[in-house]
Amino acid sequence: MALEGEAGTPPVRLPRRGRARPDVTTPTLLGLPVAWLVVFFVVPIAIVAAYSFDVYSLFPGKHGFTLAAWREFVHSSVYLALFWKSAKMSLIVSAVVVALAYPLAYYLALSGTKRKYVLLLLLIAPFLTSYLLRVLAWKVILGNQGVLNTFLFWTGVRSRDHPLSQLLYSRFAVMLVLAYVWLPFVALPIFVSLDGLDRRLLEAASDLGASRWQAFRRVTLPLSVPGVAAAFLFVFIPTLGEFITPSLVGGASGYMYGNQIVDLFGTGFPDWETGSVLAIFLLGVVTVLTAVFARLLQVRQVTAD
Amino acid sequence: MDDSRDLLERRLSREDLLRLAAATGGAGLLAGHAGFAQAARAQLEAEKGRLQVLDWAGYGNDGGQAMFAQYVKKYPKNKPQFTYMTNEADALAKIHAGLKPDLFRPYVGWTKYFATSGLVQPWDPKLISNFKHLNPFMVKAGQYNGKQYGIPDDWGFDAILYRSDKVKPKAKSWGLLFDERYKGKIAWFDDIEMFEIAGLYLGFKDPWNQTDAQLKQSQKLLISKKHLVRTNWSSETDLWQLFGSGEVWIAYAWPNDWVQMKKKGLKVVYMHPKEKPIAWVGMLMLLKGTPRYRLAHAYADAWSSAKSAKWLEDNYGYGHANTLARPSSSDLLRALQLTNPRAVTEPNAHLDRDIPRRALYAKMWEQVKAS
Repeated sequence: MALEGEAGTPPVRLPRRGRARPDVTTPTLLGLPVAWLVVFFVVPIAIVAAYSFDVYSLFPGKHGFTLAAWREFVHSSVYLALFWKSAKMSLIVSAVVVALAYPLAYYLALSGTKRKYVLLLLLIAPFLTSYLLRVLAWKVILGNQGVLNTFLFWTGVRSRDHPLSQLLYSRFAVMLVLAYVWLPFVALPIFVSLDGLDRRLLEAASDLGASRWQAFRRVTLPLSVPGVAAAFLFVFIPTLGEFITPSLVGGASGYMYGNQIVDLFGTGFPDWETGSVLAIFLLGVVTVLTAVFARLLQVRQVTAD
Repeated sequence: MDDSRDLLERRLSREDLLRLAAATGGAGLLAGHAGFAQAARAQLEAEKGRLQVLDWAGYGNDGGQAMFAQYVKKYPKNKPQFTYMTNEADALAKIHAGLKPDLFRPYVGWTKYFATSGLVQPWDPKLISNFKHLNPFMVKAGQYNGKQYGIPDDWGFDAILYRSDKVKPKAKSWGLLFDERYKGKIAWFDDIEMFEIAGLYLGFKDPWNQTDAQLKQSQKLLISKKHLVRTNWSSETDLWQLFGSGEVWIAYAWPNDWVQMKKKGLKVVYMHPKEKPIAWVGMLMLLKGTPRYRLAHAYADAWSSAKSAKWLEDNYGYGHANTLARPSSSDLLRALQLTNPRAVTEPNAHLDRDIPRRALYAKMWEQVKAS
């Protein structure tokens, strides 16, 4: 019996035995995670959004939909300026960290060392200690009486009365610590991207007369761009809303957008309305950025590669 | 037998208990004080569960529970259970969000706000045996419309601490916090109180109730001087670390900070600015509808005892409203001017007070930090 029909005749379909069973696998597998997301992600965000429009309020009394807090946010130069300042800091941190992590990931992935996974483990070893502890350790290093300044005193570059005080409680301190904290996170996606590279492409480039630099520039780098972009986003998104590191080492000048959100919710007098506006705006920016990156770099293909 | 007693207690509402107390009190008139005390004790025993306290970190677990040892000893079955607040705004948010403590501790500037918020109820000072020993100026500051909404306990001054070997002030003034000569060596306090200080420095008549124009002027001053600030501190241990390591030489500080820095061997001065320091007083407040009314009073009584007061002064370096208490440190005694009960008020200091437009002050302070 021919299963496929000849030209002009329809293919023969095999009869199904009994009634088709409903496919319950997908809903069963997806049900819990989706419910989880809805309850603990979508609903809280919707509540925060409701606060931003004064539909919900912390205080009892009459409340109704209003755009007042949003209007104030848009017209206030302070909040948007702070957001831009934080965005610039995050951009710098992300760019620097990617630049630092790339050679590291390149070495681990392509040098052919047998211990690459051991080295990778060493790279992420600091993550076995507390985040807070790692940030606080930098206070010991960067302070006026810290390791770096003590070294400068010892070498005679600075006198004890004039330590390099810009090292701590500054934007520099925040960016340095953020870069340190996020370096392994950046190295990992780049490593994965480079590790999965088809080596035959490099051999072909070499066979065609490309130098190592040309092979890197024309083959390795373009193929690793999606990994780099993913790594960039990995850092940029969380650092944009960061508040722990700046509150510990940032001082007055290292104050970031995330700190403002926290303070609006709980310092001075609770202003959940404005705090919610700032939080939703941040979420919106991050969502748009992620969508743009995903579209431009076709992240699906990257993961498929 | 026990079961039936439990049942009886469960059936008694607070109103029933009060009626019972009244009846017992009436009987007490005949039977004398012993009978009344017994009735009060019966009421106390009827209040069940652990006392829910919303307080600042550090006041909850002091190891030996010295500040409320008297309470724990008397009511071991109703030990306090703590939730921590980082500031009054945090406490306010927690209570509005559904937390139901029996009592909590805002500071004196919030007395009127909470008294009129409908969240708290007045205390009955008669149930607090140590009440008579509390500083009368602080007691008055805890009142609103003649009712005692706040039981004063811990207190201190807000003034300026500076390193005398590094800093030469031009005048005894809050202006030292805005002195361009010490850029990067100054620490402000992360609180709307900076607006009160700016107002005092600018010579406003009522820094706690500034006009729109005055607020803008204060904000302008703070923004223009922000570049001098190394950091805005919010915890004393942070300040001690900042001062001790030489990161800052000038700071808004409390008396205990001066004592601690002296202990570290630093040459420090605790300046009494010509615009006068601000005095703060912690006020225990009773939540409306608390099911542990008498236990809360017993807890406040324990906190108000001279023994607890001395412990607080010796270990935390804050003043205490109990006028009988004296710290072991003569430095602290001097810094807090404990021999002068009027020290917290005019003409010596401005006792912190209600800010009618607190939300606006807070928003403008946040803008200073964000600028």
